[in-house]
Amino acid sequence: MTIHSLMPAGQVGRSLPRLEARAKVTGRADYVHNLRLPGMLIAKVARATVAHGRIVSIDTSAARALKGVFAVYTGEDIRKHIPQPYYGPAFHDQPILALDKVRHVGEPVAVCLAEDAHIAERAAQLIEVEYEEMPAVFDEVEAMDSKAVVHDVLKPAGTFPDLKHLHGKKDTNIALDFHLKRGDVEGAFASAAHVFEHEFHTQQVMHTPLEPMVSAAEPTREGLTIHTASQSPSFVRIEISRLLGWPENKVQVKVPHLGGGFGAKLYIKLEALVAALALMTKRPVKWSLTMEEQFYTISKHATTFRIKSAVDADGKVTGRSCAVYWNGGAYADIGPRVTQKSGFTAPGPYDIDNVAIESYALYTNRPPAGALRGFGIPQLVWAYESHTDLIARGLNIDPVEFRRKNILREGRPQATGTAMKDAAIDLVLEKIAERMNWSAPFDRGTGTVLRGRGVGVGFKASISPTTSVAFVNIYADGSCALYMSTVDMGQGSDTAMAQIVAEVLNVQTENVRVIHPDTDVTPYDMATLGSRSTFHMGNAVKLAAEDAKQKLEAMARSVGVPENANIETREIFKKKYGMQAGNVMGVGSFIPTYKSPDSVTGMSDNITPFWMVGGTGVEIEVDTETGHVKLTKLINVADMGRPLNPNIVETQLSGAAIMQLGFTMFENMEYDAGQVTNASFADYKIPGIHDIPPDIENHIVLAEQGGGPFGAKGVGESATFGVSPAIANAIHDAVGVRLTDLPLTAESVLRGIRLKAGNPIGE
Amino acid sequence: MSEHAKSISFELNGSKTEMLVETHENLVELLIRMNLNGARESCGQGLCGCCTVIVDGSAVSGCLYPAAFVDGKTVTTVEHLDNNVHLSPVQEAFIEEGAFQCGFCTSGFILMTHQLLEEKPKPTDEEIRDYLAGNLCRCAAYPEIIKAVKSAANKMARA
Amino acid sequence: MTPFELAEPKTLNEAIALLDAEDPDVRPISGGTALMLMMKSGVFRPNRLVSLQRVEADYSRIQRGGDGTLRIGALASLSQIEHSGEVRQVAPVIEKTMRHLSNVRVRNVARLGGNLAHGDPHMDLPPVLSSLGAKAIVAGPSGQREIMIEELFSGYYETVLDRNELITFVDVPSQAGWSSVYFKCTTRSADDWPALGIACSLRVENGSIGDVRLMISAATEKLTRLVATEKVLRGQQASEALFERAGESAMAEAEVIDDSRGSASYKSELVRVYVKRALRQASVGATQS
Ligand SMILES: Cc1cc2nc3c(=O)[nH]c(=O)nc-3n(C[C@H](O)[C@H](O)[C@H](O)COP(=O)(O)OP(=O)(O)OC[C@H]3O[C@@H](n4cnc5c(N)ncnc54)[C@H](O)[C@@H]3O)c2cc1C
Ligand code: FES
Ligand code: FES
Repeated sequence: MTIHSLMPAGQVGRSLPRLEARAKVTGRADYVHNLRLPGMLIAKVARATVAHGRIVSIDTSAARALKGVFAVYTGEDIRKHIPQPYYGPAFHDQPILALDKVRHVGEPVAVCLAEDAHIAERAAQLIEVEYEEMPAVFDEVEAMDSKAVVHDVLKPAGTFPDLKHLHGKKDTNIALDFHLKRGDVEGAFASAAHVFEHEFHTQQVMHTPLEPMVSAAEPTREGLTIHTASQSPSFVRIEISRLLGWPENKVQVKVPHLGGGFGAKLYIKLEALVAALALMTKRPVKWSLTMEEQFYTISKHATTFRIKSAVDADGKVTGRSCAVYWNGGAYADIGPRVTQKSGFTAPGPYDIDNVAIESYALYTNRPPAGALRGFGIPQLVWAYESHTDLIARGLNIDPVEFRRKNILREGRPQATGTAMKDAAIDLVLEKIAERMNWSAPFDRGTGTVLRGRGVGVGFKASISPTTSVAFVNIYADGSCALYMSTVDMGQGSDTAMAQIVAEVLNVQTENVRVIHPDTDVTPYDMATLGSRSTFHMGNAVKLAAEDAKQKLEAMARSVGVPENANIETREIFKKKYGMQAGNVMGVGSFIPTYKSPDSVTGMSDNITPFWMVGGTGVEIEVDTETGHVKLTKLINVADMGRPLNPNIVETQLSGAAIMQLGFTMFENMEYDAGQVTNASFADYKIPGIHDIPPDIENHIVLAEQGGGPFGAKGVGESATFGVSPAIANAIHDAVGVRLTDLPLTAESVLRGIRLKAGNPIGE
Repeated sequence: MSEHAKSISFELNGSKTEMLVETHENLVELLIRMNLNGARESCGQGLCGCCTVIVDGSAVSGCLYPAAFVDGKTVTTVEHLDNNVHLSPVQEAFIEEGAFQCGFCTSGFILMTHQLLEEKPKPTDEEIRDYLAGNLCRCAAYPEIIKAVKSAANKMARA
Repeated sequence: MTPFELAEPKTLNEAIALLDAEDPDVRPISGGTALMLMMKSGVFRPNRLVSLQRVEADYSRIQRGGDGTLRIGALASLSQIEHSGEVRQVAPVIEKTMRHLSNVRVRNVARLGGNLAHGDPHMDLPPVLSSLGAKAIVAGPSGQREIMIEELFSGYYETVLDRNELITFVDVPSQAGWSSVYFKCTTRSADDWPALGIACSLRVENGSIGDVRLMISAATEKLTRLVATEKVLRGQQASEALFERAGESAMAEAEVIDDSRGSASYKSELVRVYVKRALRQASVGATQS
């Protein structure tokens, strides 16, 4: 029996525009940013001005006295309503408003509510807080054994088994230590022909989604409705109901389009405060951050990475030890996951028999760090691909040739012992080499403009084990809708998932309605993060669509439609219900298999359901008099299985690479005594249209992902991996200067050039 | 409203409009009150262009433009381009080239592209970059945006 | 932002009368782009702003005088100046500077007077206009005075203007025989504020530097004329060696300060390089014209 189809399949692999394209080009797309609720109060917070200090007193009188102020609350007021007002995905360490002490400059200390945003803002400026300052720690390596301790006692959330042993620990800033040991590392170093050792650093940067973080909550008869620009509506519901001691079904979380996320809007951010305020005031409350405030809310980890390799006489890497220190800031957020999930890839995509990894999540007195496009991987690739290049140069081997010799090929075990599967690392490397014409002579420039080129390749495991659930509803007229809690923050998931439904049900993608996350309606999804959605939600959606199709076929059989009859869907419903009525609901639920790493050795033979692979090749020009680096060519290559929508995938590739270009060349949160001194676009520069290279190529290495929906897997991060080391390697190639700290500023390049020339620039 | 509020009259997307505004209110806030959400404040500093509005035929950053200054002027927002019916060639080109991801910056880029093509119907790459240098896209759809501007220019030349 | 009185006088004289020599919370507003930033961040909370938007149209005109002087009204928008044929004829360097000054939207709104009066050492027009030998015409309650642009700034965000004085015009003298360039050097994204601005105008006579005006901005606390370096140049044969020497001299002369765009020692290197490059390009321009 075939259900009558108006359109042939072939929906997967189609480059159709985003379903919401029209709404976006007419300025009519819905964002929480635009949301206004009747009777809504606006919240503005007063923020800590010291990095670490006991709160001695908070004077809210002037703020309260301001005309138009509805209410002013502090952490103590919140505590009256929520006895344990601490939240977080990995640790319950973050107070809704500071209690007893503050742990970073910019931490919310009090909140002012008014109908007029200007009044709420003015009131927040009038709040006076007195602190007794405490010693603070800002550096991740110092935090390992500093006297300054950010949290008196560790409070793991209990969701992650590998954090349980930290419960109740005191006098430490280490929020997770991950260790992996495979083979005989000491032996490898003892017998090595060459040993290379380097230390690399990355700086703290911010996601800066152009829609700044925003959440609103409104009290309802049943409980609470939260409208939030969140990447993880299901988690918000779980966490808010935990805080309130409510069943999940009293909390509704709704998410329209997001104006960018990149990891900034994950887990729980502003939702806890607006939820508390809505309950306390019995009014809808909205809290919108300014661009500046985003910098105090979440960021990407600064890191220190010490890497050491043993190499034999043939240029084969035989042993590698890695120590990575992640600067997690004052609250853990998802940092401990980053530490573990990324940590085990620290030796890079190379076939090394003997490896040792230590990876530490550290609390410091900086704004918290979490996930940012790559979940820690770009920091690691930065170090291991710079290190790889240095080894190749040290041994006088061509950097691409050296990688070929050591690359982790299909079927070979990665550091954890998991065998590589459907990870086209070698193909990615070869594609870059081909597109860069690597073996041909290269123009090195003349005079004050010298040219260089470089490559970098990285890989990433998926975040496992995580669950996605989807519903596909076929209505009685034959139209259908997809219900899922995956958030479209620009990555095109609505469209890609609709393509899967369309393919299975043999309809036109444009006719699939995608219902946006609304936890009253759409089923559970772990979160939209780490490029997990295509694989996890994609599978759930495919299962749901297949389930719906089977149920429809069963319905057809039950009303006597003969096998192979060419019948329209609506006729089946009519036959069944006598009129246009009823519906068919398909359900799909997906969780891949997984084995967590052994608590002692860190090993697992099933560490991830799939691997993401990405690489970058660049050509640059260096102005040797000023240190300015100009990118002339950028080649992005990724293995993303079979793309569901090639055009959207391509924009994801160049978009990710350009974002990483900003993190490589100039983005940097600067500090003075724990205070971010450049928390605005005037002083924190992100790439603009003049910063992108004239020549950008995106290539997809075609490889089928086993177990992926229609052979697809995630794409959002892969093109970030290789950018930073490729540029640093190219600078080395051009002028012989090695930079080990990001960002690669013109100043650091010139300093390197002059140092090498024996004519250093003064401090 | 405070004692300093001003009564202003102006033309908004083709309609005569009179309203009371605070002197400390900016143009984006005024538009929000009129239920126009296409101009959005993001950086708040004139740098990203998400808040682009056309005032008397020139593009301005609504986030830095006092609402009271539109008195007697003509204000056009992105919502006026299609009048809920036909997309403009620029809007079509942005869709065809996939020149956005999250879409938060898109109204600004589209309005700026309209202005550019009015001034320079056949812009060079350099002219496109110079004109759009004050618009930021964190999703970094820049390569597609440049393509869309050129394609829109071609569409308009053909029309 | 907090409420304030917005006065909208119809004449310049009324505007001056509404200003207050003593009260820092009363200020003129022209385009408002700089003031809005200050008000939004809370560093400035005015009692009264005096809008210049409705004063006589004369103050936004751009005209050529009989002696070749270009007179630009202080209320002309930066875009108007960018697209003015008169400006292009007299000083093409202004148009070139505009293209990378801020962005189209700010240029559409910001006015020349606001750009100069703001006193921000990172602004691009002050070095350019001063290297052209321009002067500001300033009006106050007791009449008019003229101030050379290079003498307008007294410190970081400080000018020599009284609180109740307004810039009304900028006069750019005839540039016959002069060649001018401006180098804006950014060290982060391309659209950043300059880490260093170098403006240079010179005349070449028989292969020698006849006269020169060399200005530095952004890297120094305020716009500064590199007087000693000009002396190194004047009357000397234009050559690569001379430009090198001038670069060294400028590096020694300029009082460069640290900021997030670079350390003082790095920016001093940039001064050396960009002074050399500016001289090189300006002298090529002078020889060609
Ligand atoms: C996003 C952005 C980027 C920018 N980038 C650059 C750049 O790259 N290069 C650059 O040079 N500039 C740059 N600027 C600065 C811009 O040029 C100034 O904001 C603008 O020129 C100020 O003009 P305005 O008319 O808006 O001034 P306003 O904000 O109205 O006024 C500025 C100051 O001048 C005073 N004032 C105004 N008019 C007069 C007058 N006629 N007489 C006396 N005092 C007066 C005001 O009281 C106030 O103190 C940038 C600005 C923004 C917002
Ligand atoms: S919000 Fe106005 S330019 Fe960014
Ligand atoms: S499309 Fe997201 S910021 Fe431009």
